[in-house]
Amino acid sequence: MSTTKSNIIGTDRDYGSLVKEDRVHSSIFTDESVFEDEMERIFHKTWLFALHESEVPKKGDFKLLKLGRFPVIAVRDENEEVQLMINRCRHRGAQVCEATQGNAKSFQCWYHGWTYNTKGDLVGVTGEEAYDKTFDAKEHGLTKVARVGNYRGFIFASHSKEGQSLDDYLGPAKKFIDILIDASPTSEIEVKPGVVTKTMYRGNWKQIGMDGYHPHYVHVSVFKIFSKRESTTGSAVGAIHLEDPFSDSSPSLTRGFPNGHAALDFRFQRLPHAKDNIEELQRSEDGRKYVEDMISRYGKEHAEELIAWHGDPHLGVFPNLQLIHDHIRVVIPISPSETQVLMYPVFLKGVGQEINNKRLRAHEAFYGPASNGSPDDAEIFERVQRGLEGDANPWIQLGRGMNREETDSDGTVSARISDEITQRAQMQEWKRLMTE
Amino acid sequence: MAKQLLNAGSDVINKGVVSVEQQLRLERFLTYEAALMDEHEYDRWMELWIGDDITYWVPCNSDDQDPNAGVAIIYDDRPRLLERMMRLKDKAAHAFRPRARLIRNVSGVVPLSAKGEELEVVSSFSLGEIRTGTENIWFGKCHYVLVDTSEGFRIQWKKVMLLNNDEAMPNLTFLV
Repeated sequence: MSTTKSNIIGTDRDYGSLVKEDRVHSSIFTDESVFEDEMERIFHKTWLFALHESEVPKKGDFKLLKLGRFPVIAVRDENEEVQLMINRCRHRGAQVCEATQGNAKSFQCWYHGWTYNTKGDLVGVTGEEAYDKTFDAKEHGLTKVARVGNYRGFIFASHSKEGQSLDDYLGPAKKFIDILIDASPTSEIEVKPGVVTKTMYRGNWKQIGMDGYHPHYVHVSVFKIFSKRESTTGSAVGAIHLEDPFSDSSPSLTRGFPNGHAALDFRFQRLPHAKDNIEELQRSEDGRKYVEDMISRYGKEHAEELIAWHGDPHLGVFPNLQLIHDHIRVVIPISPSETQVLMYPVFLKGVGQEINNKRLRAHEAFYGPASNGSPDDAEIFERVQRGLEGDANPWIQLGRGMNREETDSDGTVSARISDEITQRAQMQEWKRLMTE
Repeated sequence: MAKQLLNAGSDVINKGVVSVEQQLRLERFLTYEAALMDEHEYDRWMELWIGDDITYWVPCNSDDQDPNAGVAIIYDDRPRLLERMMRLKDKAAHAFRPRARLIRNVSGVVPLSAKGEELEVVSSFSLGEIRTGTENIWFGKCHYVLVDTSEGFRIQWKKVMLLNNDEAMPNLTFLV
């Protein structure tokens, strides 16, 4: 579906010349026709995160999504499979589902009454006698999203029938996703239907990403608050101790993966604090049990790593998924200068309520429209957008730390925490998809 | 405050649970509180809160989402609210600088119950915001537990139900 359309509206712009290794041209953040091409060449082609399978736990549970320009119904069908179908009646094209979430046995279009089951089969055509034998209901089911993949409960979708497998696409980023899932002593996480912090900013979708350089400036007011506390226990910035994870002299790294994924890799910075984290946890009953259950599930050594890592991969999966602190973040581009950000708090299964409550309060403290953190990010993205509207000296610098990159054995590239490896990884994938 | 009013008995709607004079005091107090919020007078607004056991709650996703089972936009006790105040006053809290220009209208002030010095009150507001060239309109319903003290009304518990609490929201750059 995407390939034919891109031929119609595709521009002849030379995207290769707009993305250099160390800089990008600001028109890619502001130009409406670039945005149109991004929809076709990126969002209608590559793998997108759709939802976590726990959001539709029971047969008939559904949720509406927007994947690129397509309105999509995600529904658990009668065989317990999660179906992703375009929310568009095969008769005249009306959306067949308007509720954003719920439970349904079927979806009926209220334009002329056509009805589909949870597998998307057309099971009811009103006044069927008006169609002759050449009309085959089997050929008029809801259109399925071309490809669907599942990595440990994270459901991804691609509107393109062909392309890399999800497994190859995620590659070495998979073991970072594991950091979140395995923060649960039963390796199960839950995303509750309808529990989500929803924000928007008046800026481009490519602004929001992994950036280890900005916290000292954008979030300076939050660091001041932390400096007044005895410890940052329970805080959502960095780890559970006072050492600054955003210092270039710390063991924190930025990491670039193949296919545009990127992480702020705090593993080596957090690991030495495992003992403190465990001591802190052992002050409460739920905490003691958590430590015990983690050790019996993963063994002492790995359990200590997982506890130190806080279930926080700080990973961006290109183009629309980020796993940061206590939440799953979905980025939805609305226009070149408007972006929605949906942040789903993740509940760990197999833990006491106190642990999840603490995660919720930490999430609220830093993320959301009235929190300590994300409003300042949104404000800065909007300042960037206003600045970029003028194309004077249009090149945006992304070259920080190119002189100190190291390639690791798994093919990922790393450098100091303030280095712009993450932006470079994202933009090189953007260029690959836009020029392919 | 549709829900509370729909469920209220005739003593609340017809007779009223406070005197006319008390009603006028309440309306003046809530208008004063709104003025402090509109003018970003954080310290003076903070003085309106009484006691250590306070709750300032702005639910997310629905008006009643349980903060122990789901997320909130704001769910502050006194220590968290004091940290919020510290940040709002900080010149480096970029989302609040420049400050938004605000006007809100408070209406629909109805006391639901009066027990001793404690009053349960609902109200609603509409608010115009202008900041960095963008105008936003906000609507909300409020539910208070107030204490009538010798120094005037004080807030013990406040819940603010924003009309857009399940929509993608721009920054909330002011107190509600």
